[in-house]
Amino acid sequence: MTDSHVLWIEGRMMAGHVLVLVLLWAGVAFVLLSVVALARFGDTFLRLHALAPAACAGVPLIAAAVAADQGAGRAAVKTLLIGLLFAAGGTVTTIALGKASWQAERRERE
Amino acid sequence: MNAWAAAALVLLAAAMPVCLWVAARGSAVRRLAGVCLLSTAVGAVFLVLPQAYQRSSYQDLALMLAVLSPAGTLVFTRFVVGHSYEHDSTGAHRHGSGSGSGSGV
Repeated sequence: MTDSHVLWIEGRMMAGHVLVLVLLWAGVAFVLLSVVALARFGDTFLRLHALAPAACAGVPLIAAAVAADQGAGRAAVKTLLIGLLFAAGGTVTTIALGKASWQAERRERE
Repeated sequence: MNAWAAAALVLLAAAMPVCLWVAARGSAVRRLAGVCLLSTAVGAVFLVLPQAYQRSSYQDLALMLAVLSPAGTLVFTRFVVGHSYEHDSTGAHRHGSGSGSGSGV
């Protein structure tokens, strides 16, 4: 194996590592964005908006980072499935929370 | 400490206290938003920690949480709404909304 091959392989591994780090910290940033929004928003319906970045972008990005670190295989598919489940579950619970908030507000008006 | 452990530490130190604070204050419906985000943050931690400790089998916790946390939040939501309907003491209103069949536990 020549030196150029070694450099090419090392460069590719470095690029993969950088990609994993970018995905990981982007996901963490989205979760922290949700946390800050949840702390700042006072209205109940605004708080529902605060849940979206963490569930729909934060956890899937972290799952993508973990899957990229694991490499191609069944473990990566399982990790991506976990991220997808969090995204779908967050959406469903946000809809249920919105419905419950609307019913609670309607009762307060009555 | 590698990047995975640092990310888990950031999530544990920054997200958990705020979510617990939101889940501990306000009306029952307003607290549910904190509970929902708390489960998402814990799921992110459960995804990151197996990479930090190089134990891939720990990832099953994240899978279980991804399945059970939406179900738990939905149950909480139903109990909160059902509890409020119990205190309404108006049967017609309870049947009219279509979501108050729970006993409120």
